[in-house]
Amino acid sequence: MRRFHLTPLRLAAGFLLGSLTFAGVGYAASLGLSSTKLHVWSQSLTKGICNQTSVTADDTYVQQASPNSTTGGTATTLRIRPAAGAQDYSFIRFDLSGCSLPTTAGADSAVLSVYVTTAGNDTVSVYPVYTNWSSSTLTWNGLGGLTIGSTATGSFSSASTGTQTVTVTADVDAAIKAGALWGWEFRVTTGNANVALGSSENGNAARRPSMTLSYEK
Amino acid sequence: MKRLINILGAVLTAALLSAGVAAAASLGLGTKTLGAGSAAVTGCTASALTATRNVSNSGNVTQVNVLSVPQACAGETLAVTLENSSHTSLGSASTTVGACTGGCTVSVTGFGTVSATNLTAYALSLTG
Repeated sequence: MRRFHLTPLRLAAGFLLGSLTFAGVGYAASLGLSSTKLHVWSQSLTKGICNQTSVTADDTYVQQASPNSTTGGTATTLRIRPAAGAQDYSFIRFDLSGCSLPTTAGADSAVLSVYVTTAGNDTVSVYPVYTNWSSSTLTWNGLGGLTIGSTATGSFSSASTGTQTVTVTADVDAAIKAGALWGWEFRVTTGNANVALGSSENGNAARRPSMTLSYEK
Repeated sequence: MKRLINILGAVLTAALLSAGVAAAASLGLGTKTLGAGSAAVTGCTASALTATRNVSNSGNVTQVNVLSVPQACAGETLAVTLENSSHTSLGSASTTVGACTGGCTVSVTGFGTVSATNLTAYALSLTG
C-alpha cells in the first residue's frame, strides 16, 4: 500500500465530502479562530389546518342609537352603518381553543370570510380587537372598554351581496402568541349605507362567518 | 484501490478536523501550508432553546424570536437559518445576544422574503 499524501486538492475534496456527511442540517454556525464557545441545535415545525366555522364564532353588532342594547348578539345579521348619530359597528371573533395551539405556534395563513347580505356602496374596514368581549354583553356604551387597533387590517367592498374575504394572517399569528383571539371590528366611517353581514345565527349556513387557518407549531 | 484509499483518507482527515474541534481553517485549492491547533469548545447553554417567528399579513417571516436565552450567552452570536422540508436554506440572519436579566428573548431579523408556509425547521447556533 502506498503512503497517503495529503495534497491541497485531496484536502479540499475531503472537506467537501466531510461537509456532505452533515447533509440535511444547515447549521448557521461560523467559527472564527478565536471561537471558544459553540452550541447548535435545530427545531422542526408541525404544520396543520384548523378552519373555523360558526360553531366557534361569536358575533354581534352595537348601535349608537340604542347604546345599551345587546340584541345584536342574537341577530341573524350584523349591521354596519356610518350615519352620524346612528352608527352601527359589528364584531366577529373565533374561539381557537379547539386547535390546541401553544403560544409558541403561529399562523402561516388566515383568511376571514363574511357574507354581505345587504349591500351598500361603501368600503367596510376591519380593525383588530385586542381585548375580551362577549356578544351577550357588548354594547355601544361598552366600546370604551375595548382596545381596538388604530390601523385597519384590511377592507372590502360592500357594493354587492356575496362572500368577501380579508387576509388576517398577522392578527391571528399575534393572537396565537398572546393566547387568545378577540377578533375584529367591522366599521364604515364614511357614506350613508346600511350594510349587513350574515351572523353565526344566520339560517343559511353559507352566509355565516368563517375563517381558514393554516398554522405551524 | 489506490484512489479509494486516497478518498477514504481525505474523508477521514476532514472528519477529524470537523469533529468537536473548532479548527476554523479555510483552505483553497492553492493552499500549500496548514497549521492546526485545537481548543475545547463549550457552550453558554446545553439546552435546545425554543424559536418562534412573526409574520406579516402576507405570510412572510418578519423575525425569529429565540426564547429564554440564558444570560451567560450575552455577547455571543445567535445565527438562525430557515429551512424548508428538504432542509434547504430559505434565508439566514444573525445578531449579537445582548445583556439581559434572566432568560431573555432574542429577535433576529433580515431573512429576506421567506414565506412562513415553506418554513418547516430552524437551524440555530450560538457562537462565542
